Amino acid sequence: MKRYSIARRLIVMVLLVELLSAACVTGLALIYERHAHFRAFEVMLHGRADSVIGAVQDAEDADDNVMLDKADFEVPAEDVYEVRDEKNRLLGRSPNWSGADPSLFTSRQDRVVKLHVNGRHYRALIVHGLRIVDPGDKGGGIPRHVTVIYGSPTERVWHAVIGAVQFFALASLALMAVTGIAMAWLLHRGLAPLRTLAAEAAKVSASSWRFDPPEEARASVELAPLTLAMENALIRLEQSFSQQRRFTGDAAHELKTAVAVVKSSLQLLSMKPRGVEQYRAGLEKCQADCARMEEIVGKMLTLARFENLDSYTTVTIAGTDLSESIRQVEQQFRSMAEVRGVSIHLDLQQPLSVAVQTDEVALLISNLLLNALQHSSRGTDIKITSQASPDCVEFTIRDQGEGIDPDALPHVFERFYRGDPSRNRNTGGTGLGLSICKAIVDSAGGEIKLESLPGIGTTATVKLPVYPHPKAPQPAEFLASATFPSA
Amino acid sequence: MRVLLVEDEDRLAENVASALREGPGYAVDIAEDGEVGVMLARDRCYDLVILDLMLPRLDGAGVLRRVRASGDGTPVLILTAQGETKSIIHMLNEGADDYLSKPFDLGELIARAKALIRRGKGAAHPTLRVSDIEINTLEQNVKRAGQRVDLSPMEYRILEYLIHRPRVIVSKRELLEHLYDYNWEHHSNVIEAHVSNLRKKLDAKAETPSIETLRGRGYRLMVLQPAAGAEQ
Repeated sequence: MKRYSIARRLIVMVLLVELLSAACVTGLALIYERHAHFRAFEVMLHGRADSVIGAVQDAEDADDNVMLDKADFEVPAEDVYEVRDEKNRLLGRSPNWSGADPSLFTSRQDRVVKLHVNGRHYRALIVHGLRIVDPGDKGGGIPRHVTVIYGSPTERVWHAVIGAVQFFALASLALMAVTGIAMAWLLHRGLAPLRTLAAEAAKVSASSWRFDPPEEARASVELAPLTLAMENALIRLEQSFSQQRRFTGDAAHELKTAVAVVKSSLQLLSMKPRGVEQYRAGLEKCQADCARMEEIVGKMLTLARFENLDSYTTVTIAGTDLSESIRQVEQQFRSMAEVRGVSIHLDLQQPLSVAVQTDEVALLISNLLLNALQHSSRGTDIKITSQASPDCVEFTIRDQGEGIDPDALPHVFERFYRGDPSRNRNTGGTGLGLSICKAIVDSAGGEIKLESLPGIGTTATVKLPVYPHPKAPQPAEFLASATFPSA
Repeated sequence: MRVLLVEDEDRLAENVASALREGPGYAVDIAEDGEVGVMLARDRCYDLVILDLMLPRLDGAGVLRRVRASGDGTPVLILTAQGETKSIIHMLNEGADDYLSKPFDLGELIARAKALIRRGKGAAHPTLRVSDIEINTLEQNVKRAGQRVDLSPMEYRILEYLIHRPRVIVSKRELLEHLYDYNWEHHSNVIEAHVSNLRKKLDAKAETPSIETLRGRGYRLMVLQPAAGAEQ
């Protein structure tokens, strides 16, 4: 997308609105000024036409006609007039005019007409007047009707109108210029918190997660949501980043150690010539070492897979029968339990459907059961129970093993942590089993808890969401709402 | 020589211990966590401590701090899988003498172990000489007045230990502690026989006795010239 400036766009938009209103104001001014000026003009024309009528005198002839007395009669040089009597005789006309169209005198009504005289625009008034000849005579004298047409050029009126409109237009343009400059300045000032915010955000890097949003960005209604969102995003990013870094560090440590074991086993074998039996035993150890390395790599990949899952990708379409899964896993471990002299007791409610995929449930149970078996001594019991509670399904695996040291208990879900101080890798595992369990339970939105009393035993309690969910939304709705990681 | 190996990864510990026993013939004790490591080191019967950094209960740095705080100057070789320069610098500043990153080469580990033990005894060169006795710690052979003397592994180890401490009385117990691992007490009767055999072999073609026995106190390597030392 093309780069653009919000400030510039805003300024242009405001100026366009202002231009539109300036055009309206100017148009209205034009209408008003024209109306006002022409009204005044017509009043003036009336006055002058009346003075022309006033100049019509008794001609003192036999027919008692009237005439235009030009003696004390003056009109402006560019004005035109023509006076005729009721018999349409020309009584007088301004010298600068060739005469009006005779049709103008036919109407008996006063009116305003437009004329074109000597290449100039005129506005003329046709006025009908009455002159009484010999008013002192019997019968009140003889009435004589005269018609006057008086015109004056409109140039000056238009000049005045245009002048006024020009003033409005220029004033509006000046105002627009001032608005443009003022807006540019004010927007620049007003957007300062945004720039500070951007500068602060630019300082954030993988090595320095410090983000100090400016106070004004937090206080502004428009910027506060962005600031908050950025802060939250950075906190989450930092967490996952450091988690990833810790994982990489731990993984490197474990892998290097595993490689060191394999390498040293091989080098020890080739340090000096040995007998066939020794070589065979050595190779078997090497193979066992390789298998261990393979196990670590496999578990690390499993863990990475679960930790990279967002909760919405694990939305299960079908539920899993927890009790059935427990039974299956128990069957797999039965021979191992017999060898170790441990008996496993099941107390299962059924069926219990949980919203977790079948293979994940099996992995979860087998990791926990293996853990319990590895820490159980000969002749003890392991008890597995499952039951439904109103909003979740719960299962517990209880062993009578040596228990976990209270100091170690808070760390058991940490990756590569081994509670067993001797860390004998043959029984202590990779230190990833419980981390995988926690990752599975977390991604399903459940809970896992380990309680232990040294010398008495350990109880693992897992709560998993029920399938179908009690307040199950419609599938479409569920998918839409599931894009936000559930708590 | 006796080495304390503090390493929680049992297969690695097993391999390193076997290599040290089979190669230079050291006695090796293994501690599986830091606490046990500190406890074993308290006896000060070790000529070298090989210390892993990531340990249960007490980590390598803690072990090193406690060992050095008790005034123990035994050479310490650090094994690390962290590979971070910062932690290596930290450990060396805390009193470690050398380090090896996992996965390491067993040959290199043995060479470094030998060098650290040598340095710990104040010798720089792998060939040690006292009077007319010369031992090459790399090839593990012994010469007296230029003549090759064939020794059994145990006799060689006794001589190697004594030659690091000329003119000093070394008690039978000290010899036992430094040449055998934790069950050294079982060997207390044979040490006299080994010393006796060693003396016989060394003195076979020479006029002066090499090892003096001080009844109830121990053994001493005789030095003929005043200018004794481990230098070439």
